[in-house]
Amino acid sequence: MSFVPGLGIVRGMALTLRRFFEPKVTIKYPEQRAEVAPKFRGRLQLLYDEWGTLKCETCFQCAQACPIECIDMGGIDTRGRYHVHWGPPETYGERREESALRRSGRTVPDQAYEHFEPLDLHSIDAILEEHDHDPKRMLRIMEDVQGVYGYLPVGALKRISETTGAWYAMLYGTASFYGHLRLEPEGAARGGMASDEAATRRPTEAAFRSDLDAALVGRTPGDRPGAPAQA
Amino acid sequence: MTDLLATPAGWPRILLARSDAADPTDLDAAVRAGAFDGLKKAARDLGATAVIAEVAASRLKGRGGAGFPTGEKWRLAAASDAPRRYVVANGYEADPSTFTDRTLLERDPFAVIEGALIAAFAIGAGEAIIAVRAEETELVRRLEAAVGAAEEAGFAGSDILGTGLDITLSIRPVAGAYLLGEETILLKALEGKRCQPEQRPPHPAERGLFGMPTVVQNVQTLALVPWIVAHGAAAFAALGASDSPGTVLVQVRTPGGEGIAEVPLGTPLREIVGLGGALPAGRSVKALLVGGPSGGLLPAEALDTPYEFDALRAAGAHVGSGSVVLVDDRACIVDLARLLTRFCSGEACGKTIPCRIGTRRLVEIADRAVDGRSSPSDSTRLLDLAHDIVASALCDHERLTTLPLGSGMRYFRSELDEHFLRGTCPAGVCQPIAVTAGAVQ
Repeated sequence: MSFVPGLGIVRGMALTLRRFFEPKVTIKYPEQRAEVAPKFRGRLQLLYDEWGTLKCETCFQCAQACPIECIDMGGIDTRGRYHVHWGPPETYGERREESALRRSGRTVPDQAYEHFEPLDLHSIDAILEEHDHDPKRMLRIMEDVQGVYGYLPVGALKRISETTGAWYAMLYGTASFYGHLRLEPEGAARGGMASDEAATRRPTEAAFRSDLDAALVGRTPGDRPGAPAQA
Repeated sequence: MTDLLATPAGWPRILLARSDAADPTDLDAAVRAGAFDGLKKAARDLGATAVIAEVAASRLKGRGGAGFPTGEKWRLAAASDAPRRYVVANGYEADPSTFTDRTLLERDPFAVIEGALIAAFAIGAGEAIIAVRAEETELVRRLEAAVGAAEEAGFAGSDILGTGLDITLSIRPVAGAYLLGEETILLKALEGKRCQPEQRPPHPAERGLFGMPTVVQNVQTLALVPWIVAHGAAAFAALGASDSPGTVLVQVRTPGGEGIAEVPLGTPLREIVGLGGALPAGRSVKALLVGGPSGGLLPAEALDTPYEFDALRAAGAHVGSGSVVLVDDRACIVDLARLLTRFCSGEACGKTIPCRIGTRRLVEIADRAVDGRSSPSDSTRLLDLAHDIVASALCDHERLTTLPLGSGMRYFRSELDEHFLRGTCPAGVCQPIAVTAGAVQ
C-alpha cells in the first residue's frame, strides 16, 4: 500500500539485486561438498514406498551397524511389532551411555518395551544361569527359552540382552534368521504376514520335497501366490 | 535310511567300505575292519607335517561342493600363528532332498571321527566339532555313542594312543537354515550368532571359529583322509579323475529309482543316472538337475559330461549337495526352475541387496512365466538380473541361486521363450496353459 507509484516493484527488484550479489548457498555436489561437523550423521528417517507402506524390512542391519546403539528397534509397529525409534542428536549421548552400561553387564530399563506383556522371567533366568550368561551359547539359550514359552517373546529377548550384554539388535537378527525359532506363538501370523504368505516366502523343507516330487512328474504344486496354501 | 545302489564291481569303495557292518557304532568290529589304522599311522609314524604333505600329494578336494584343495587349506591353518585351532566337520546337509552325508554318518561314523582327529592332529587343533542336523535326533544319539566309544578306547580325548596328544571331540546339533551348509555361516551358528556370510579372505583357515584358524571340511572329505594316510597318496591319486581324484557319494534319482552310490569322480553322468534304473517306457530324458536346489539344469546332450568339479562348472552345474536328478519329459523346466529358485531365495540371509531383493525378483519373473503373465522383456530382464547378482555376489549361495534359471536360459531357451513370449507351456504343466494373444503385450 504505497503512495508512490512503482515503489513496490523497486523494493522487489532491490531484493532481487541484493540476493544476486550475495554469496550462493547452492554447491556443485558432488564435485563440491558442504562443510559439516565431523560427527554429523544426518537424521534417521524411514522411507515410505509408493503405496504408503514402510520400506523398512526390520532387518536390523542399521541397528547392528551402529557402533553406539543409537539406532534400535523399539516402540510399535512396522509389521505390528517394531519401529525404529530415533531422536534428536542430543539423545544420542544418552543412548551411548545406556549402551556402555549394557555392555558392562548392568540392567538398563527401556521404556519403549513397557507396553509388551509382562513375563515371568524366572525360567529365563534359570536358563541363562545354566548357560553361564554366555553370548557364545546364544543359540542354545534361545532354543531353551523357546522350549519353555513355545516362542520367543519380546520381553524374553530383552531380558537375554540385558543380562548377557548382547545387543538386542543382534538377538533379534539371530532369532529371525533360524527357521526353527519363532517370534510369535505357533499358528499366529509371522511378522505380520499371513501364515500362507510366509510359507510362500520361505518354504519349509517338507514343502520343498513334496513340490519337487510334484514338479518332476509334471503336476503343478498348488502353492503359488493367490492359491490356497497346501495342507 | 536311503538305500545304497549297487555299483559296478570295478569301482573303488572307500567311503562305503564298512557300510554293510551289522552295527556301525560297534567300535571293535570297525577296528577289525581297519578303522583308526590311519590315525595310528599318522600319530605314531608320520607326524603332522608329513600328514599334511601326504594329503596335499593326494590332491584331495573338498567334497562340500566348491572343491577347494584340502591339503592347501590344512597348510594354511597350520601355518597361521594362533593359540588355538579348530576342526569343524560339516555334516549339516543343507539340501532337504539329499541324504549322502547322513548316510555316511549313519553307516560309518568312525571314518568321519578318525578323519576329524587326523585333521586336528595335522593342523595342531585341540578341538574337533562335528556339526549335524538337530532334526536327526537318532543320528545325533548314535554319533555321541560312537564318540564315547572312541574316547573310551583311547582314540580321542586326552592322551590319544599314548602319544600325549589331546583332542576334544564333540557333536554339535545345529538347525534352522539351508545356509548352514556354507562354511562361514556354519561357524557363525557354532558361535551362537545370526548367520551371515563373511567376506573372504581372510579364509576360515586363517581366521575362523572365535577368530581362530579353523579347518571346515565336509564329512565325506574327512572320511577319505584315513584311507589316504593308511594307503598312501599315490594310491588315492590313481583313483577317479586325474585332477580331482577319489570318490564321492552321489544321490541318484530317476523315475526308475532312487538311492545313494559311491562314485569315482570323473564318471560320466550317463553311468551315474544309469545306476538309478531305466526310464519307464515312453519317457525320454529331458534334463538333468545336478547339484541340489541351487543346481544347474543340463540338457540330455550333457549326459557324457564327467561328474567332476571343473567339468560340471563349465557345463553350468556344480557338484553341490551331490544330487543328480533325472528330469523326464513330464516336467516343465520353468516350473522346476521356479520351484528351486524360490526355495533358495527364501533362504537368503538378507545381508546383500542383490541376493535379498534380486533373487526375489527372479522368482517373480518365473512366477509370471508360470502364470502366463509374462511380458516379452522378461527374458532379457532375467538375464540382466542374473548377471548382476552373480557379479555382485558375496557368497556362493547368492551366485548359485541364479543357476537353475540361468542354466535353463542357456539350454532350454525355446521352452522359456514359449512362456515369456506366448504364455504357453510346451509341457502342459503351467497354468493357465494358454493365454489369449491379447493378454501378451
